[in-house]
Amino acid sequence: MFENLKIFSMASALAQHGATRQTVVAENIANADTPGYRARDVASFADSYASRPTTGLQATRPGHRFDGEASYSAAPREIFRPGAESPNGNNVSIENEIFAAAEASSDHRKALAVYRSALTVLRTSISGQS
Amino acid sequence: MSDLLSSAKHAAMSGMQAQADRLRHTSENIANADTPGYRRKIVSFEQVVEGGRSTGLVEAGDVRLDRTDLPKVFDPSHPMSDETGYYDGSNVDLIIEIADAREAQRSYEANLKMFGQAREMTRNLYDLLKR
Repeated sequence: MFENLKIFSMASALAQHGATRQTVVAENIANADTPGYRARDVASFADSYASRPTTGLQATRPGHRFDGEASYSAAPREIFRPGAESPNGNNVSIENEIFAAAEASSDHRKALAVYRSALTVLRTSISGQS
Repeated sequence: MSDLLSSAKHAAMSGMQAQADRLRHTSENIANADTPGYRRKIVSFEQVVEGGRSTGLVEAGDVRLDRTDLPKVFDPSHPMSDETGYYDGSNVDLIIEIADAREAQRSYEANLKMFGQAREMTRNLYDLLKR
């Protein structure tokens, strides 16, 4: 829906980030007692949401902005967590995972709130009623 | 997006299943703490691998028996005692089993919490469709 409007695509990317992170956290917690399992996490949203400048357009003034298509891509990777290592090689720390899950959930909620509010603005401007 | 959350729920579910399996073996051990010749059962968790790739899910592995020596209990009146008056007890240590059960319960709860949170996120997503 409305992928061409930047605020929608950004909100959707943030929601995707929250969902990805939630999945990774759920996997970590499921494997909290698996010998040899290494905890994983995704990079922060700022790092994984990259905006590429559009090519082919010439700017005649420095004030011209061409915000290109931004895309979200996150690959879960193993994290190094000193101190949480147990003798069987597992480094999942339930406390850290719960914290990450809370962050993921709040990111997701934030994204949905932004999406909904932008939708309201759009709807108001279309219907012409306040 | 919803796919992601459903795989989160799957991971949490596999974790709960594995912990429940572990708790079952622990309670079997406790139930058999006084059975002569009983060796305690132990399970280890493994990652589920499909086509060489780890899926992020977990499962309880094969059951193994604790190979610690069985304690010799002196009780000549016991029906299973040999001519010297000793019989093989079980190698279940109740303290270890209780600690194991606690840990399984704690991990189960953590998985359940993740499941609930993923479900709530899905619900919030669907709420967008409401006016």
